[in-house]
Parts: sequence; C-alpha cells; structure tokens
Amino acid sequence: MKSIPPDNLPDFFNSLSATFEVRLPIELPDGTRTLGNPGDGPIALHGGALPGKPTAAFFPQQGPVFTVAGGFVAEAPSPPRPLFVAGFTPRDLDCLRFIDRFFAEGWHDDIYFSRRRGALVAGVSGRCGPGGALLPPAGGDCDLEMVWDGCRWLIVPYSEAGLAITSELPDSAPSNALDQIRQASEALPDEEGTLIRRASRLLRADRVPDSFWAEIGERCIACTACNLACPTCTCFGVQDWRYAERVERSRMWDSCQLDGFMREASGHNPLGTEALRTRRRIHHKLAADPERWGEISCFRCGRCDAVCPTGIGIFAVAREMVDRFGSGG
Amino acid sequence: MNPSTPPAEPRTPSLYLPVECEIVAVSDLTPNEKLFRLRLPGGAVLGHLPGQFVQVSLLGWEEAPISVASSPGRGAFFELGVRRAGRLTDAMHRLKSGERVGIRGPYGRPFDLARMAGQELLLISGGCGLAPMRSLIQYCEEHPEEFGRVTMLHGARSPAEMLFRDELDAWEASARFACSRTVDRVTDGERYNGGVGLVTALIPPLELDPARTVAVIVGPPVMYRAVIAELRKKGLGPERIVVSLERQMRCGVGKCGHCTIEHLYCCQDGPVFWLDEIEHMRGAL
Repeated sequence: MKSIPPDNLPDFFNSLSATFEVRLPIELPDGTRTLGNPGDGPIALHGGALPGKPTAAFFPQQGPVFTVAGGFVAEAPSPPRPLFVAGFTPRDLDCLRFIDRFFAEGWHDDIYFSRRRGALVAGVSGRCGPGGALLPPAGGDCDLEMVWDGCRWLIVPYSEAGLAITSELPDSAPSNALDQIRQASEALPDEEGTLIRRASRLLRADRVPDSFWAEIGERCIACTACNLACPTCTCFGVQDWRYAERVERSRMWDSCQLDGFMREASGHNPLGTEALRTRRRIHHKLAADPERWGEISCFRCGRCDAVCPTGIGIFAVAREMVDRFGSGG
Repeated sequence: MNPSTPPAEPRTPSLYLPVECEIVAVSDLTPNEKLFRLRLPGGAVLGHLPGQFVQVSLLGWEEAPISVASSPGRGAFFELGVRRAGRLTDAMHRLKSGERVGIRGPYGRPFDLARMAGQELLLISGGCGLAPMRSLIQYCEEHPEEFGRVTMLHGARSPAEMLFRDELDAWEASARFACSRTVDRVTDGERYNGGVGLVTALIPPLELDPARTVAVIVGPPVMYRAVIAELRKKGLGPERIVVSLERQMRCGVGKCGHCTIEHLYCCQDGPVFWLDEIEHMRGAL
C-alpha cells in the first residue's frame, strides 16, 4: 500500500496533469468546496461530499451535442486528455456506477462516454467526512481510493490504471490503520438506508395516497435545486444556440419539477400539477428505478436535502412518508 | 481489472447526429397540417415498422418526435404528417420541396404485427392520430392476407381539420376496409358527407367478435379513456387493445427522461403499448 502525506498532495496531482485533465475538490475564496482544476484553489479533500455532484465531470450541466459551421458538422469534442476526477465519496461512487450503467445500456450515449471513457476516478474516504466524521471505504468501484487515516492519505489502487499512476509513490509504513478504519466503518449505523428502503417499499406497495403528494407539492417552489444537485438525475433538455457563424446544438440538465418538463406539443401535460411532479421526483428514485434497474437510485448522498429551501429533500419526504403510512413492511 | 471505467466502444457518427433528408414533396393536409415526403441520402431505406417515429431536426429549432405516416413498403421514401404546433413545426411548415431536414431514427416499439396477425382489426383514430395510423393502414393494404376484417373509425373536430380526406374516400370505397368517419361539428355551408358526433359513438353499433378482434387507438389524450370504455362494453379485454401514446420525447433513445411513464420510457418501451401493460400506471392515459 502507498501513502501520501498531506503536504505532498499538490505534487501528486500536478504529476498527473501531463497525462490527465485533473479535476479535484478545491476551496474557493468564500470557503465553498467545489470540483476544480489544480491551482484554482487549495486542495479540499476533507469535508465529505462536495456540494455539487462530482458526476458533473462526465455529464456537465451544459455541453455541446454537435456544431455546424459553414456546412461542416463537428461532433461534440472529447477532452484533450482523459479525465482524472478525485473527490467521490463512497456514495458518490454508487451514483457514478448507476449512471454509467444508465448511459451504457440500450442506446449507448456516446457524448457521456466521450468524457467517461478512459477516465480515472479517485474516491475519498476515511476520517475526512464533515468535522472529521468517518466515511466508510468504498472498497472498489473506482480506480483508486484515498483513505485519510488522521495524518496521511492511504492510497488503495483497484484498477491497473490506478496501480500505474500510484506506482511511484512511496510505500506506506506498516500499519493497521486501514483495517481499523474498515472495522470502525462496519459499526456505523445506516439509518438513512433503512429509511429510504422503507419509503421505497411503501411506494411500491402503492400505500402513499395522492393527498400526500398534494401536500408535499404545495411546499415545492420549483427551484429545481434537488434535481440539479442529484448525482443520479440524468434528465436533459436540448437547445440550439444560433451564432453569426455557427449553430451549436447543446444539451443541459433539466428538472422534472418544472411545469414544462413533460408538456407536449398538443398542450397535454402528464405532469401538470406540483403534486404529480413531486411524486415523480421521489417515485422515480424509489419505485420506478428499482423496477427498471433493479436498485433504488437514491444512494443517500444527502445533497437534495441540503439544498432544498423548503425542506422536501428525499430524506425529509421519506421520513414523513414512513411516519404517516408505516414502515412499508 | 478496471472496476471504474465501463466498457464503452466509440460510436461514429454520434447517436445524436441527424441525417440530412431531402424533402421530395410537401402537400397540405389541412390548414394546420402538412404531409412531407422525405428521401434519405442515396435513396437508403429508413427501415421502420408501422408505429415507429423519427426525431425531426431543424438546425436552430431543435428536434421533435414525429410518427412515420407511411408504411415500410412504399419505396425509398417515407412520409411525415406534421401539425404546426410550435417553433420547430412552424419552421418546418415554411419548407419546400428540395430543402432538407434532419432525421434520427426510426425509434420506438412498433405495432405488434405478429400478435395482431390473423385477427380482425378495429383501427380507431382521432385528429392527427390518423397520421401514425396511416402507416398501419397502408401496411394492411399491402398485406391483406395477414389480417381478418379491418374496420376503421376516424374522428376529427371539423371537416376542414380532417386529414387524408382523399385517402379516407378511397378506404371507404375499398372492399378491404369498413370505414366510418365523424366530426365534432360542421360549419354552415361546409361540404361534408360523413357523420357528426364523437368517434366513441361509432363503436356501439359495431358487431365485434371480442375473441378475434384487436383494437388500435391513436389520438389525442382525451380520447383514450372514452374509447376504451366503449370497447370494454363490447367485451374487449386490455390484452386486445393497443394504444399509441404521445409524449414529449427529446432524445428518442431513452436518455433525456421526458417521456417516462413510471418505470417505462415511452420512446423505447412505446410509443405503442398493449393496454394491459400500462392501464394501471399513473398518468399513462
């Protein structure tokens, strides 16, 4: 196993820049943590999940589909070098695994994979959660994991590519720190997981009445923050941008909380009320995706609850659902 | 050993890149609807089946899903009936023969011709639902041996808004089809020789064998429940009723999320469904 002392982190990431487009958590002048380029700010691996979804490195908020200029068509450009993206918490990695599958199965989304293909992903875990809280190691689903043991980053490669880029790092002094972190992680409660599974069972058993969604919908101000923050929200709209010399077709994140999301050319709107739209947001993660993909697509990152100004993130809604309609069996 | 990066083969050209088609002919169907006859480069065959749709693309005006209105057996062209209902279709209505539009597809699940084979067909359309239905009607014309008796019911708001009037006349005159049409209203002085009333009123007088009939419904959302109720009275179960649903498909390939019906993606799992697949789903009809 390898390790990196915190002071050597910038050198490690800089050493990757010749081969990769590096994205990593940085701290902005106002203290906000975000995914950025090396040199954009101090490295900020500590603090748990980033406020913005790291999956945006592969499925950006807006990006070209193709451009037409002078009669010539240019497809969406790939990054000049493959991406190296650090900062995925174990729950973020679950989200990434889910959307990888979503974009790969059926029709293969070449625009997503133009960024995802060949990319390396680094997870962060250990005692680097909010206030030093423990993030359980992911143990896979990434190329390498950076596990903070309290004084250094333990580097655990999982793929050949992860092994290759860490081969030059110094070997870690013998220690049982990683084992201790894994053991401590096993004792962590998963109250959110239990809550989400109970809510999912209620929805799938159709035990949540329409009146509940009308109540929750009344609290929605359609700010769309929940969707924009969610790493497994993959809905997008398409927009043509007309410039003097070219037209660019682009796609951008969309939100099922907006009235026009499903409105058809005829005016018919299958999601024509706040109640239906709010139900769709929760039902999609907890009932529709389990039916289609075999798993709940909320991996409990907590972002929607953190950003919702009116307190109807998925944990809050699931808690209310379970309190009022039972545990779902 | 590479757990993070999924296997992904590059696709060239992009899934989202339309193919430019030449507009071979444009004709007026109604004041608000036109029929576009399109030809792929080199006369390539679209390769669609009745019930499928294409994503029509105009640079600067995005894309919209439009059902193919012609059967696969009509040669190296295909037709789209386009109602003017937004920015893209407005722009499309200004196009003339010789100009070009982008096409992606065909996409979606077509009519289940194998399961419909040997059955008597009851084809019920409303408004511009006759355009996608026409693809199936033409298929029936071309393959009379595959189906039993074919009955067509079509409703429009007014005679002026009725699509494919000449073809309706021909289908009415054909021994192959039993064809009835109706309109919601007739303006004084308007020339029209069909029925007046809702399309649902055409169902009770029919003599149907519910064990040998498949009904197909394509029309505006408001039509489905009423038509289904009448068909149920005739003894048709949901496993014998086919619906083609309109949704706002932005991508056509199951990625953009705008056409979901619970866990189904209308662009991939539909737009054609057997009623028993979706009748229990919230918001499907």
